[in-house]
Amino acid sequence: MASYEDCVAGPLEGHVERREALLKLERVTQSFRMNNGVELVVLKELDLEIIDIKFKPQIVSLLGPSGSGKTTALRIIAGLDKPKFGQVLIGDGEQGSLRRVRAGDVGVVFQRYPLFDDLRVVDNLVEPAVRIGKMSRKEALDQALQYLDRFNLVRQGYSWPVQLSGGQRQRVAILQQLITGKKFIVLDEPFSGLDPISVSNAIQLISEIAHQHTLNTFIIVTHDVSAALLISDHVYLLGRERDEKGNPLPGARVVKVYDLIAEGIAYRDNMEDLPRYRELYKQICRKDFPLL
Amino acid sequence: MQENKLSSLLKLRGEITKPIRLALLSGWMLLFLIFWIFSPMKALPTPTEVLLALRRMFAEQHLLYHLVVTLKLNIVGLVYATVVSLLISYLGTLPLFYHLNRAVQLLRYIPFVGFNLIFLTLFTIGFPLKVAWLTTGMSFFLVTGMTAVIESIPRMKYELAQVLGYNGWQTFYTVVARPTLPHMMDIVAQNAAIGWVMITSIETYARTEGGIGAQIYQYSSTNNLAEVYGLLMLIGLIAAVEDAIFVFLRRMLFPYSTLAERA
Repeated sequence: MASYEDCVAGPLEGHVERREALLKLERVTQSFRMNNGVELVVLKELDLEIIDIKFKPQIVSLLGPSGSGKTTALRIIAGLDKPKFGQVLIGDGEQGSLRRVRAGDVGVVFQRYPLFDDLRVVDNLVEPAVRIGKMSRKEALDQALQYLDRFNLVRQGYSWPVQLSGGQRQRVAILQQLITGKKFIVLDEPFSGLDPISVSNAIQLISEIAHQHTLNTFIIVTHDVSAALLISDHVYLLGRERDEKGNPLPGARVVKVYDLIAEGIAYRDNMEDLPRYRELYKQICRKDFPLL
Repeated sequence: MQENKLSSLLKLRGEITKPIRLALLSGWMLLFLIFWIFSPMKALPTPTEVLLALRRMFAEQHLLYHLVVTLKLNIVGLVYATVVSLLISYLGTLPLFYHLNRAVQLLRYIPFVGFNLIFLTLFTIGFPLKVAWLTTGMSFFLVTGMTAVIESIPRMKYELAQVLGYNGWQTFYTVVARPTLPHMMDIVAQNAAIGWVMITSIETYARTEGGIGAQIYQYSSTNNLAEVYGLLMLIGLIAAVEDAIFVFLRRMLFPYSTLAERA
């Protein structure tokens, strides 16, 4: 079984070795009954597969315009909601073996970065590590302090969550999921409401974490095209297809997958200067998004 | 500058300095005293009469004893009511106990006398009866406030515990029980006031042991209004001290809760 010692820090070049599926959504359909009794289909037969790539960070983005069912998909992936039809399967550590996802399998960094406000920052990491990571209190404290040191949060370790800035809360929320040993971490709109510099910092932070934890898979749920391209190795475009008359069909699904490793632009420095990045950006903004 | 300071007195959430706050407090007290001294109501005893009545009650009428009786009832009742209400409120998060919780909340609309017969049958007259009355009466209000606190916990907090992999008990302790304690303390502090209103009624019904309520009843039935107002002022003073103790305890025990309010 792979360990953290097997991980190679990125940015990564060279041969791509694709291995088994880590997470699979099979024909996931979700609908809600509205107040007027009409059934609103949010997701329809959504298929998605995240493949393990040896020694590479795994950051995939679920990209889509507002109302395209991204949050619904997130909640189903995290096991917070059950789909009406279909299933979410997750790798259970043994090669090739998948089982149904349960709440607690997938970590989620929610939009407003909720933390346990009655615990100091360090205890926000120690407590879950003891309870879920099955560490002793001393081990958990050592690990928490290491994490805080690595992400420039040592000074804030004994502060209360309410005293943190938005960016600091985001980091603690990610570390909280990492310390409990979550292999999958979903980030819900991590760039929403941020100014361009903060977006750039957040991209750098998530990339750094992903490159340091190549056994983890990060799923970014976002409507930010540029950020999705800059951070991910695969972008799944989520939305509702249209019929011949241009009317949207019920339920969103993955309408397009952009394999940025195959495109040769994943994990590149100065990606915004690459012509292929600019082409893809234009294609998504001008052609693909308006069709959804 | 001075103009700015004064204009903030009528500004929404306007901030004022400590000396201005003190000056305001003194001004209001002075205004109250002037109104009291020059009040046209003949039945209203003067401040001097009230102070003299208080001195007389302490010196000759065993007011200290009555004060201890009432304070003991107040503290014991408050502790019992808090424990019972926390239990009912927390249990209300389980579907099995939801309706019990709702029923207890609805009982706060029922007039107090409605329970007299039940309590007289169940408890011996005296301290146990008064404690039972106070505990029950306060619990109806405490459960309502405490349940509202629990219901205001954002869904995201439960989901955070869920995605971390916490089990039911861990989620309950981390999301419901522990972080709501400072708010529960606020609810207890707010309802301590209702407790004082109830105590005076309870001690009027069960007068054998004495107490402030029994004293108020006795003095008002003999038309000794200076004594009555003296006792009411004493209750106000105790309530203010009680409030200050709750604020102090909250700051000491839950420092993050005051930071959260300022954020």
